[in-house]
Amino acid sequence: MARFDIARFGAEVFRPSPRQADLMIVSGTVTKKMAPILVTLYEQMPSPKWVIAMGNCAISGGPFVFEGQYNLVEGVDLLVPVDIYVPGCPPRPEGLLEGLMKLEEKITGTRRFPGPETKW
Amino acid sequence: MTLAAKTIEEFKAEFKSVDISEVPYDKQGYHLSIESRTGNLLGIVNFLDRREFYIVDLFCVDYQDYLELVYFFNTHRELCRIKVTLKLDPEKPVAPTISNIYTIARWYEREVHEFFGVYFEGHPNLTYLFLHEEIDHYPLRKKHVPVPDGDKKLLNSFKPHEEENSFFINLGPQHPSTHGVLRVVLKMDGEYLISAEPVLGYLHRMHEKMAENKSYMQFLPNPARMDYPGALLFNLAYVETVEKLCGIEVPERAKYIRTITCELNRIASHLLWLGAFPADLGALTPFMYAFDDRENILDILEDVTGSRLTYCYFRFGGLYNDINEESFVDATKRFIERMRERLVMYDKLITGNVIFINRVKNIGILEQGQAKKYGFSGPVIRSTGIPFDMRRVEPYAAYGSIDFEIPTGHIGDNMDRYMVRMKEIEISLNIIEEGIKRLPSGPFKTEKVPKKLKPPKGDIYNAVESTRGETGVYIVSDESDTPYRMRWRVPSYSNLMTFPHLSRGVLIADAIATLGSYDIVVPEIDR
Repeated sequence: MARFDIARFGAEVFRPSPRQADLMIVSGTVTKKMAPILVTLYEQMPSPKWVIAMGNCAISGGPFVFEGQYNLVEGVDLLVPVDIYVPGCPPRPEGLLEGLMKLEEKITGTRRFPGPETKW
Repeated sequence: MTLAAKTIEEFKAEFKSVDISEVPYDKQGYHLSIESRTGNLLGIVNFLDRREFYIVDLFCVDYQDYLELVYFFNTHRELCRIKVTLKLDPEKPVAPTISNIYTIARWYEREVHEFFGVYFEGHPNLTYLFLHEEIDHYPLRKKHVPVPDGDKKLLNSFKPHEEENSFFINLGPQHPSTHGVLRVVLKMDGEYLISAEPVLGYLHRMHEKMAENKSYMQFLPNPARMDYPGALLFNLAYVETVEKLCGIEVPERAKYIRTITCELNRIASHLLWLGAFPADLGALTPFMYAFDDRENILDILEDVTGSRLTYCYFRFGGLYNDINEESFVDATKRFIERMRERLVMYDKLITGNVIFINRVKNIGILEQGQAKKYGFSGPVIRSTGIPFDMRRVEPYAAYGSIDFEIPTGHIGDNMDRYMVRMKEIEISLNIIEEGIKRLPSGPFKTEKVPKKLKPPKGDIYNAVESTRGETGVYIVSDESDTPYRMRWRVPSYSNLMTFPHLSRGVLIADAIATLGSYDIVVPEIDR
């Protein structure tokens, strides 16, 4: 069976409509053409709602920022409020799962299980 | 007599005043070059159309003094690449349309129009395809050329006029069935489609513009981000083109490792599709199985390349590092054994499933005759029965010394496209097995490749068979360390553009099945 299964954390239910969702994962580059649509989608979601910016592109434009670029929104947080940033190009699956854990921690104040120790 | 020689002879008899010249194929990747003028372009294109040439690509290069439209043609029977060029005045660039001869040119010409400001006389719908409403210049022009006010109206110019019995639906850009951010505007009559028009550019990441701003080495990670499921194959397309351009030799061992890893990547990509295609039809179980197998490949490739998805493993003149002979070969052999068993299971799980068969059989039929007009490639063309595969037509890496079969379909429906891909997984396994058996020892990269590449002046076209079809790279070099112009011929683009043709008059659910059967990757189409 597939290895990275978010159903383990109760996050399985997939809804193809923003009106039934409370979490938007922006999983790629946001272009200027996509920007108004993304904002509409966010506004269609009922509150309370959260956003995860997944990958360097969604966080800041990532590798596609260069002088004279004409089609990029340099970070989805310029459009909608972002709760969790998951870095990587692309992020590893563990990264996204950790992002979901962090979001859970942010909402409930408690963590399911101890996270990785940070030594710095 | 080769087709190139024959074409020259016939061409000279028909067009007396037009320059046709033979080009050193080893250096530039195409055989013939024709310099046309506005007056005789249509005649030349008609001449090629009569000889069963298909259109590979259409794009523009800005040489500052003039704009050059470049048309690439080739045949499905024999490799004979022809470059037709047309010089245009940069102040007022106008060219005749060829969209009534080659249907796919409709979209290519729209692309050229919005990025270079070239007008095509007689084009049925010269509106913007990629760009957004705030753009005020033509991005790929070397100088800043503003968009005239009249043209600004064409940006996002879709203005539906509803008729009495029809209405419009936007499929995408956030619809799960479009596998990314593709938008298709559907004109519906109840459940039936009257017409469909793809709208692109929601993931246009300016790769071609970036190439003009970065050195050859710095652009290396980009191709993997165009086609993320088949990253190594795009990586290979780029690396091989630059190697050919600079005349860098690649050691045998590197060629074999490239072949093996590329085929592993091809299987991974097909498995991703194998999960997604039935999911489009409502069957969610195969997804779990396919991703399970895919994880095995990702593990093997992660050991070698260092990343899970967007590999950047090949370097100019070889590889980033050598494979660990024991662990890599063992893991690959174990995977081949496992995958062969799993294919039997997939046969029972999906191929024999009566619901699946009813959803895909005799739906989305592409005729062989369309291949020339649209220039589609990969499993899509092979499903129509044409055994066209760049690995065979123009062998690169180690494909020339490995014998393999090319699977073809019969009628070109969704079922055939499914069967061709399933068969390809099996054949890729054979290629990997053969490659491992013959893997030579020796260096894995050429020494003495300069850090700063400065290729000689000139242009080159080179193509590889990526998961979705013919992936070509065209580079114009001006002797500096950045490409003057880089053009990507991506297979999903021409594959997708057959959708308006196939979806006319079918049920929307069947159209979704057809869209799923193309295996499109949107970052690749939008570039």
